Amino acid sequence: MGELVIGIDLGTTNSVVATVQGGVPTVIPNRSGYRITPSVVAMARNGKRLVGALARRQAVTNAERTVVAVKRLMGRRWSSKALRDTVARMPYTIVQGPHEDVRIVLGEQQYSPPEISAMVLTELRLDAEAYFGAPVSKAVITCPAYFNDSQRNATKDAGRIAGLDVIRIINEPTSAALAYGFGKAQTEKQVAVFDLGGGTFDFTVLHMFKGVFEVEATGGDSLLGGEDFDSRIIDWLAEPFLKAHGVDLRTDKMALQRLRDAAEKAKCELSAVTSVEINLPFISATQKTGPLHLQATLTREQLEKLTDDLVQRCLKVCEQVLGEAKVHAGALGEVLLVGGQTRMPRIQTAVKSLFGRDPSKAVNPDEAVALGAAIQGAMLLHEEQEMLLLDVTPHSLGIAIAGGFFQKIIPKNTTVPTSAHHVFTTVKDDQPSAKITVLQGESDIATDNELLGEFMLTGLRPAARGTVDIDVIFDISADGIVSVSALDVQTGARQSITVTASSGLTEDEIKKATRANEDWMLGQKEDPKFQDRKARAEELFKEFEAIWPRLTRAAQDGLGQEPLQRAQAALSVARLQVAQKESEGLAASIDRLERMLGALKGALERGLKEEGR
Amino acid sequence: MLAARDGEEAIDLPADIQRELRELESRGDRITHYELLSVGADADGGAIRRAYLERSKRIHPDAWYRKEVGEFGPLLTKWFQRLAAAYQVLSDEETRLVYDREHKGELSASDRAAVDKRELSRAEGERRQRERRDRLLHTKGFARIGAARKLYEEALAHVQNYERSQAIECLKAARELDPNRKEIVSKLVELEREQARARAKSALASGKEREDKKLWAQAITAYHAAFQLDPKNGAAAAGAARCFLWQDDAQAASTWATRALELDPADLDSRLVLAEAFIALKMKARARTELNNILSKDPEQAEAKALLKGL
Repeated sequence: MGELVIGIDLGTTNSVVATVQGGVPTVIPNRSGYRITPSVVAMARNGKRLVGALARRQAVTNAERTVVAVKRLMGRRWSSKALRDTVARMPYTIVQGPHEDVRIVLGEQQYSPPEISAMVLTELRLDAEAYFGAPVSKAVITCPAYFNDSQRNATKDAGRIAGLDVIRIINEPTSAALAYGFGKAQTEKQVAVFDLGGGTFDFTVLHMFKGVFEVEATGGDSLLGGEDFDSRIIDWLAEPFLKAHGVDLRTDKMALQRLRDAAEKAKCELSAVTSVEINLPFISATQKTGPLHLQATLTREQLEKLTDDLVQRCLKVCEQVLGEAKVHAGALGEVLLVGGQTRMPRIQTAVKSLFGRDPSKAVNPDEAVALGAAIQGAMLLHEEQEMLLLDVTPHSLGIAIAGGFFQKIIPKNTTVPTSAHHVFTTVKDDQPSAKITVLQGESDIATDNELLGEFMLTGLRPAARGTVDIDVIFDISADGIVSVSALDVQTGARQSITVTASSGLTEDEIKKATRANEDWMLGQKEDPKFQDRKARAEELFKEFEAIWPRLTRAAQDGLGQEPLQRAQAALSVARLQVAQKESEGLAASIDRLERMLGALKGALERGLKEEGR
Repeated sequence: MLAARDGEEAIDLPADIQRELRELESRGDRITHYELLSVGADADGGAIRRAYLERSKRIHPDAWYRKEVGEFGPLLTKWFQRLAAAYQVLSDEETRLVYDREHKGELSASDRAAVDKRELSRAEGERRQRERRDRLLHTKGFARIGAARKLYEEALAHVQNYERSQAIECLKAARELDPNRKEIVSKLVELEREQARARAKSALASGKEREDKKLWAQAITAYHAAFQLDPKNGAAAAGAARCFLWQDDAQAASTWATRALELDPADLDSRLVLAEAFIALKMKARARTELNNILSKDPEQAEAKALLKGL
């Protein structure tokens, strides 16, 4: 069987964890029994860390301390244009970090996006450990194909902080295709994956043959997803309200969170029905008018009009990628839809008209990505999986050259792992160092591309200008992560390189965060007595259930409602303590319940005797 | 060197893969793209792709991820990258044709024969196709529309099979039969553009190769061809300008450098070539203007400084 390995779809709105068990890819349910865990982290008023459904449920009342869609902040620079819009729309506070990056303010503390993601990953890891009953450390995590190097590094850092050995970062659409192709080793097929998730859009064309999955071309938009569809609805609700009452609901964090929830709910419902009522009573209040309510009816047609440009943006990406893969839309063997937003009927019809065929229903749009990641993990670690993935780099890699231009060194859609060289020559006599600016993107203008880092070639040997040639080697790993090394051509000496600009966390910061997370997990570690107490509590619950009908009768026959009410309250406290693993409190509850049970049983027996008399 | 003296027990990469990697290493750069992919030079596009995927399963580092591969690790990565590069060249009709022509001397006797045969049979096949298209072109009345659709579908099949030039011929005939079908025209334009770019790319590559070997005249021919195929290709113009300067043809060098600069005003190298050409042509004032222009963008440009001083 081999080592335990999990696959994690770390989504913008939801996350899923899966594994391959006995040769079958399976989703691991979380400890509450659900197959999907919201990617939401909150700091409760009492300072407790909440993750997943619990965090999501309290988002309205605690909007400022609830982090949603942190994936949109991963690996972003504080100065990037892309960040501005995201920051404005988030109910929580985002500030500038020490490395030109971003930090999220939660209560007294500031967290980097990888640390918040790590909290979600830790939750999923604990779910997997509960499922296996054994520790899990190896994981494959997915990211959008269009993620650049810093975003991938941030994802990998998040895994490390969560105590996971991230054996590979793979692209979400590729992952979905693996789930689709699993067990179909003999077929040769060309497949397209249309992946519109909560925050990102990817489109990928793959070719599968005898268990080898070759990505031919990939493209996307890392700031286009379901959340943008929600935003359109929010604006549609908030604008008229602003006109009518002079109140901008989007500036009120609690109201914004309610709008966000209502918009998402309306959007999902409109996939099934053609019109929905949106009702938000007491959404705001003014001195003059008192409480204000929001009421509106949104039709599917209106929603389609509001979001038409978003759909068109997706289609444009598809056409471009098809061109790069040199495929004709009609020639594809299958089109897979992945990501919750593809449930929207308008998306399905748009895909259908572009490709001239119905999209495949063979994969579950919510689970395929995690299943594929689990398959990739098994492919790498387990002997019996005869499959191989050949993925590509989604962005061109290059350097800034004189005049502010960008010179491509590795073109996009090159199969990874890959490497390329570039020779730099000194331009001055005895030049001691040289700066190399590494960028990722497609624009000819250097500054229009994403800055990966600035590298200093230091300690160059003193010589006349033009006589020191430095061969700089750019490597892209199978994870899509870039590394740079350099060699003095004439002497063969390794040249040292130091990173002078990077948007990521430093090694020390990662280590510190990892330790903090470990400490938190130790704090979460259940009391060894907890399982026994839980078992005892459950026995008590059953006993109470068994005598409950007789108790209700007895209550009417003179015992009175009060003892029953007290028992009920004690029971619900104990149930909560079981769910939250509060071992000490549960011990006290067990004592109390045992005493109550004894007294109530006594009362019932006395009642019987009296009746018998 | 690869006998793995100390780590022998530790390495559990299958013996045949170890042998294969050693063999590849010993052949080094002498191995041809066909040999690396284990296909004959007569293989068609589909066979080359399948061979690439099959070979990947053997030498992609991920295929042996769980194994202790020791010193073979870097070799797997290196040879997989070489394999991917070879596939890149052979998977496009145009770049493959150029490769065949330029590396014919290195191919094995049987592969050379296969390349010749392929060229013959391509010519033969094209002739037959041409005759068929001519017959179809004589279709009369409404049947012309149907014949056009048939040719369009054939073109798409050719595209799938990496036969771009065949596809283009089909589309040309289809356009003649049914000039009003938008998809025919747009596909044709798309393929022709793609073809020109691919040809320009390989012409540019062979220009660079020849320039490195200091074969200036040959390099100029190749750069010129690249520029003709893709008139937006500044790199081709810049290459031609450099080679002319080496050949001491300052007049031509200045013309080409000017073209390169029109396409890419930020190309400081071409500006330097232009300045040098002006100096050779004794047009000192213009040379000075160009050099000052360079120094205004890059004050550290040592060569420009030296030239300006000389003036």
